[in-house]
Amino acid sequence: MSNIRYANMCHWKVVPYAQVPNFRDFYYEDNTNSVYYADWDKLLKYQKALGFDGIEIAPWDLADLTPLFGSPEAFRDFAAARGVEVTGMFHGAHACHVKEKFDEVVQAGKDAVDTIVKFGGTQMNTCPTDNYHGIGPLNEEQLANCARAINAIGDYAISKGVKVGLHNEFFCGINLNEHRRFIEMTNPESVFYCIDTAQISLMGEDLLDFYDTYADRISGFHLKDTADPSLPDEVRFSKDPEIQDDGKRWFWEPGEGVLDFKGLYALLKKHQYKGWMTLETDGSPDYLASMALSRYYIDTVLKPIYD
Amino acid sequence: MSSHYAMSLDMINRHYQEPNRNRYETRQFWEELYPLIAAAGFDHIEVPFEPVWQFGGRSGVPMTPYSIETKYGNSESYRELLASAGIRGVSAVTFTPNLFVRNPHMDFYFGAFGHFATQAIGFARDLGADLLVLSPSAYAGRLFHYHPGLKDDAGDFIVRTLTLFTELAAKAKDEGVKLGLRPEYWSILPVNTVVDFCRQQDNVELVVNTAHIALSGSDPAAFLNTNIDITAYVQLSDTKLEDSNTFARAPNPEFPPQQATQVFCDAGQGRVPVNDILERVRGSLPPERVCFSNHHTRDPMRAMLRNRALINQHCSQTPLSDVVEA
Repeated sequence: MSNIRYANMCHWKVVPYAQVPNFRDFYYEDNTNSVYYADWDKLLKYQKALGFDGIEIAPWDLADLTPLFGSPEAFRDFAAARGVEVTGMFHGAHACHVKEKFDEVVQAGKDAVDTIVKFGGTQMNTCPTDNYHGIGPLNEEQLANCARAINAIGDYAISKGVKVGLHNEFFCGINLNEHRRFIEMTNPESVFYCIDTAQISLMGEDLLDFYDTYADRISGFHLKDTADPSLPDEVRFSKDPEIQDDGKRWFWEPGEGVLDFKGLYALLKKHQYKGWMTLETDGSPDYLASMALSRYYIDTVLKPIYD
Repeated sequence: MSSHYAMSLDMINRHYQEPNRNRYETRQFWEELYPLIAAAGFDHIEVPFEPVWQFGGRSGVPMTPYSIETKYGNSESYRELLASAGIRGVSAVTFTPNLFVRNPHMDFYFGAFGHFATQAIGFARDLGADLLVLSPSAYAGRLFHYHPGLKDDAGDFIVRTLTLFTELAAKAKDEGVKLGLRPEYWSILPVNTVVDFCRQQDNVELVVNTAHIALSGSDPAAFLNTNIDITAYVQLSDTKLEDSNTFARAPNPEFPPQQATQVFCDAGQGRVPVNDILERVRGSLPPERVCFSNHHTRDPMRAMLRNRALINQHCSQTPLSDVVEA
């Protein structure tokens, strides 16, 4: 039994069909590969075939996904029938730095936890508050407001069998200067951390030092590479830096950037990490190709170090 | 008759999975697209207002005031960019409330619909468009999922919708913008209800989307002929399907669950009598009020050239004296 199980973070944009019943006819409508990306049936089969047994769903998909299947439980069963389980869901704790928003933020977090439970998931990877531009730098009171809200959500989540994992983006209000201090302000019993390997590296964290320091708090990973670690403040704090005007990508498949994944896996072995490793390929023009490319790197480079 | 019609940016798939779709989120993509639209012979664009693109701080898609301000500073600068690319104006802004059907709270739906429709009015004004095209409702099937009571009785919903439209029409009038209501085959509001409302309400006119009318069970040419006096705008869209009976109430009625197919096809590729429509609107509507609508086409560049070929063919059958190039 492997210590690490691999999952895929769902960045498929809205998938319109559960299962296309007329695959061949649909293909012949325009003789393109669109039909290969039109239904959940095939997308789940692709990731299962490539060894990604879990899927982390995205909250922005729920409005379409839930009516399509009828309920979260129906999607859970549909995925399970194809050998894929829902690991959890991403969540944004927007505006949690605002004291007056506490009740609203916590309620939204609790609702998200309840949704995850219906999907059968156990992780809620949570980005605290909003982008740096417009709110940063946060003062001590605002950081404390964030921690209070995240702790309340975390306490509720734990009671439901779900782990909240903090997930910082490189452009978020809680940025390099506050990153570790904020973690220390949260409750270690109920608030954990999901390391997005590229995001924290772009932010300026040393990936290996960060994991080595916080190994006991780590509830999961978003596995992706970057070619641009330690972005300068003027990029991280700019307005909407995630999608660049010229299409420059911040994120690449593991092995296609510069991050030290061999070093990370050596540390995973040192700390005997057990849990999900969730591949995230946002920014890729071809998620299937990215998944296959990543699988090759995992099998040939990473698994020999620690499985 | 000028052949310089409008082209809807709705041809770009912003919503659904397809390979390479991430390029649509970059400024680079859109700024290359505008001169290509002009090169295909269209000098106005229709802009779908897309509030989702400002959530999360992503501003690559120029379909909200936030995105325009982030990338261009203000709408004047954006319009100058369009002009330099050969786009003389924005024919209309469109807006649909599907995004706001995501929970069982009807107040959320109407509150968000009203809030963002008001924002869309200002967006249209700032872009120099004097028409905001509204969908009468979100997909009926999606509304039924989150609000199952509507299956049995949608009366209050319709009344509340029309009340909202009355309020929006007044706001729009203050901004020099007209509301256009577009009957849709997937709507809770029947076509006749929309038409009647347009006839009665100040500052509200009809928008005829030809494929929607065909899929609602009417002949689009006859429908347009009957209602040309209240029609402000025509979206020339097309479909190969005979009706929408089996999927109009599906959670996503753009994707028939029993038989996967593209409901909408490029204008001129389906059964809508596009030439008849062009002939009917000649002299009744200025050309920029006729918009080629290739909803989420698989190939935007091919779609535009298909449209241009259709127009050229139509013009070749029109007396030369009637053809006035702008």
